[in-house]
Amino acid sequence: MAAAVDQRNHQLTYIDVDRTAQRVMAPGGLKYWLWVGFCAFLVAVGGSYWTRQIYEGLGVTGLGQAAMWTVYITNFVFWVGIAHSGTLISAILYLFRTRWRTAVYRCAETMTLFAVLTAGLFPIIHLGRPWFFYWLCPYPNERYLQPDFRSPLTWDFFAISTYLTTSALFLFMGLIPDIANQRDVAVGWRKKFYTILACGWQGSDVQWRNFSMGYLLLAGLATPLVLSVHSVVSWDFAMMQTPGMHSTIFAPYFVAGAIFSGCALVLTLLIPMRKMLQIEDLVTIWNLDNLSKVVLLTSLVVTYSYATEIFMVWYGQDPIELATFHQRFFGAQGYLGLGMLFCNCLVPLLLFSPSVRTNTVWLFVISIFVNIGMWIERFVLIAGSLSTATMPSQWKFYVPRATEVLITVGSFGWFLMNFSLFAKFLPIVSMTELKEGIGWLRKSQRNSYPYRKAA
Amino acid sequence: MSSDIELVGVFTTDDQCAHAVEQLHHVRILGFHTFAPFPSEKIAEAVDEVREWGKSPVRKWVLAGGITGVITAIVLTVGTSWEWNLNTGGRPIASIAPYIVIMFELMILFGVMGAINSFFILSGLPSFELAPGYRTRFGADRFGLVVRVAEGDDAKIETLMREAGAEDVVREAA
Amino acid sequence: MRPIGEPVQLNWSRLTTIATVLVVIGVLGVILGLVAGQPQRVWLTWLVDLLFFMGIAQAGVVWSTGFYLTQGRWAGSTHYRLAECFWRFLPLALILFFGVVIGRDYIFPWIAHPVTNKIKAHWLSAPFLLTRDFIAIAIMVFLSWIFIGYSRAREAVIWHHQPDTIEMPPVPIRRLAPTLAICYAVAYTLFAYDLISSLSPQWHSTLFGWWYFATIYWGAICVMSFTAVQMRRLLPSVNIFTRPRVMHDLGKLVFAFSVFWMYLTYAQYLVIWYGDIPTETFFIVGRCWHHPWMFLTWMVPVLLWVVPFTGLMGVLPKKTPKILGTIALLGIIGVWDLNYILIVPSLSPDKLPLGWIELCITAGFLGAFIICAIPGLKVLAEVAVSDGLETSNEAAQH
Repeated sequence: MAAAVDQRNHQLTYIDVDRTAQRVMAPGGLKYWLWVGFCAFLVAVGGSYWTRQIYEGLGVTGLGQAAMWTVYITNFVFWVGIAHSGTLISAILYLFRTRWRTAVYRCAETMTLFAVLTAGLFPIIHLGRPWFFYWLCPYPNERYLQPDFRSPLTWDFFAISTYLTTSALFLFMGLIPDIANQRDVAVGWRKKFYTILACGWQGSDVQWRNFSMGYLLLAGLATPLVLSVHSVVSWDFAMMQTPGMHSTIFAPYFVAGAIFSGCALVLTLLIPMRKMLQIEDLVTIWNLDNLSKVVLLTSLVVTYSYATEIFMVWYGQDPIELATFHQRFFGAQGYLGLGMLFCNCLVPLLLFSPSVRTNTVWLFVISIFVNIGMWIERFVLIAGSLSTATMPSQWKFYVPRATEVLITVGSFGWFLMNFSLFAKFLPIVSMTELKEGIGWLRKSQRNSYPYRKAA
Repeated sequence: MSSDIELVGVFTTDDQCAHAVEQLHHVRILGFHTFAPFPSEKIAEAVDEVREWGKSPVRKWVLAGGITGVITAIVLTVGTSWEWNLNTGGRPIASIAPYIVIMFELMILFGVMGAINSFFILSGLPSFELAPGYRTRFGADRFGLVVRVAEGDDAKIETLMREAGAEDVVREAA
Repeated sequence: MRPIGEPVQLNWSRLTTIATVLVVIGVLGVILGLVAGQPQRVWLTWLVDLLFFMGIAQAGVVWSTGFYLTQGRWAGSTHYRLAECFWRFLPLALILFFGVVIGRDYIFPWIAHPVTNKIKAHWLSAPFLLTRDFIAIAIMVFLSWIFIGYSRAREAVIWHHQPDTIEMPPVPIRRLAPTLAICYAVAYTLFAYDLISSLSPQWHSTLFGWWYFATIYWGAICVMSFTAVQMRRLLPSVNIFTRPRVMHDLGKLVFAFSVFWMYLTYAQYLVIWYGDIPTETFFIVGRCWHHPWMFLTWMVPVLLWVVPFTGLMGVLPKKTPKILGTIALLGIIGVWDLNYILIVPSLSPDKLPLGWIELCITAGFLGAFIICAIPGLKVLAEVAVSDGLETSNEAAQH
């Protein structure tokens, strides 16, 4: 049942918004801590396999001569992609003054931060000898060695660092007024915790003036990052002359794919979360409907990109590229390529139906398909292309071993654990902006909302 | 010893608070500040009309940060390329096309640092003392207007606030 | 500006006369060009102008679908009519496409010298190519016609004037708007590959289609902004284009999509630069780094990005009609230049044919475009004034 708000007779007030958020942050029960414990267990499993990999070397993985980039780089691209939708929803839609964004953007932004943190682990894991990570930083040294700024891997370092910093600061800045609100009502250790984080915020006219301008400018600065960061990640592949990877469409195609997978993961997280935390009155069907439209739009863009790539390979009639694409869909691991098309192109077409977009069960299932499909897409692109990149006598189809699989599972555990902890200790919905747009929130709750069905 | 006192008006809507600010403007009182649980455009406009302080200077810091970022990137990329002038792939030693990525990222990064630093500094954060007149309800569901007046004028200002719709007006020593 | 109270009366007959003269100049340009033994210049310019003007007209309709899909109701019905007012050029474009059919031998080098690969030769065969492109234009014309009808219906107009609701647009528009937008992306990708990229059949770039239709989309918002600035000047002062917010919104769209265009251009350029594969680089090098095309090619990023980015960065320039109008006009010229340098150097790499033939034919297309736009402009004028009156009445009541 939704929160203690009778939608027919009661007009939502500011205090209702606060109470809902405070209820969400109430100390967790047994189920919550069991869930966090399970996630921590996954992290421990992944961590132990990483430890083993550091000790014994990359030979414990399935990485080999043909496909040197496989699951780890796939995970890196996957998690960075997930992060972008959060910034789209929080920054870009803020600039467009999109009304449905308000209830969901904090959750999406949180997802961004932890997704980037997760993504950032993988280049380090993939190094094999992670203590040499600092070589990527341009620091003065007497060996006359500097990073090659012409290399996409160096661009990656700068792009991801910038994105992590910007996302963290953008999230923190938006949190300050809500944390201050919690500081005023909390007791015990929480009061001290929120007092430190709130930095003395009191919502005075001077503070709001600087906050509004600062937040607007941060949103304006974060917006080009959505385009640039995943474009830089895509250029890790497009700059190579490898068939299947050297393609000018990669930058916008990857950005669209990132938003596609990210918004799907927002749905995957939000749908059970709004039920478990009883915040259906704040995160309404209106929000989910609009989010699923973004998923549908980006699915169409991804479909267009696949079609263009396939058409260009056919148009170019280059025998090597033709062979690569034939292998991608009809080769030894062709089931992955076809699965990718099914999950990313066909399944999201169901979102054309308004009744599907307003049904939380359907949305959850479709979002899972999309997440799987987008992970497969990166795998097919990276591991698949590299497996057949050289002479046919050297082709070797990559098969993951336990190390990569369990480290991947550990990364999901890491992400979910951080996200769950955040949701319990910090406001997962923006009370400030919900109060600011309370008129729209009231409208979205009314039964007159078009084709609205019971959530 | 000061004979000023502070009047703390508590309002239920931002309209009322903005209206009260406008009334203060009419009686030429500038010594006030407001509190709100969210950034109200109406209160901001009313205060801006009184104080005439224009747009926040945060944007100048962002611009300065962005320019610094671009220059830093140019120095870093071109400078290190000339220092370690290894020819990779037949490309120019200082290749501008790829360096644009680094310039762009550092422009954004330094711009963001400028925005955050200026926000904290200009807002007086972090601060570990409560501003005079602050109430916890101003972070929840009420709007506050705190006016510093001489002791003889307090009745007039209280009347002004109540006529604007104040739910409560409390006196505090300044 | 004219005072409030005066009826909307613009000198349409003067505009029609000027446009008719331009059309006559265009026809003369074609005839004299052919008589002077310059058929390649005639038909290449025909193709450049057809793609440019047809693209602007079509992208305008797609802007209207974009406004519906994002539920943008920041200027009543006006921004919808502004986007739709050029659509009548589309049926004419379908007829003008026969110019490409007539001049195909001078346009497509693979007719005289077929490509060696049999499969590719089948794709690049004149009957197949011209038929599929004609069908694509016809489908776009049909869909646009149906869409315009629904957009002008009473239900849609009522919806335009309810900005404070979360209701979606009327059902037929909910179906047709995404369909039209998707078909635009597919059709203009096809035109980019068939009518531009195939003129250099060895060259291929997966981003080219997307980049091209994004360019045309930006060109359309420039034309819309330029038209809005002119309407603001000529209509009674109560018209909605006098609201600074409307100019600001148009300026933001010009700015934002200019940045997006530059992003796509850089993405395409960088991958080709980095890969350094001769079958990809020749297309860029021949235009960017060789005379006589270098100047015209570098004018494109200047007019499409440098000028809009620097000129429209602040809030005030976006709200200043003269600045917005000038930048939009330069942008329009830049998009035409882009079409020109994409098409002509493929067949004339060492010579820059830009003279009286090109100017006359372009003038003819411009005249035809204006004649087709006049009915839409008349509707726009009425709507801009009525929406302006409505918003000033609402402001007075509050």
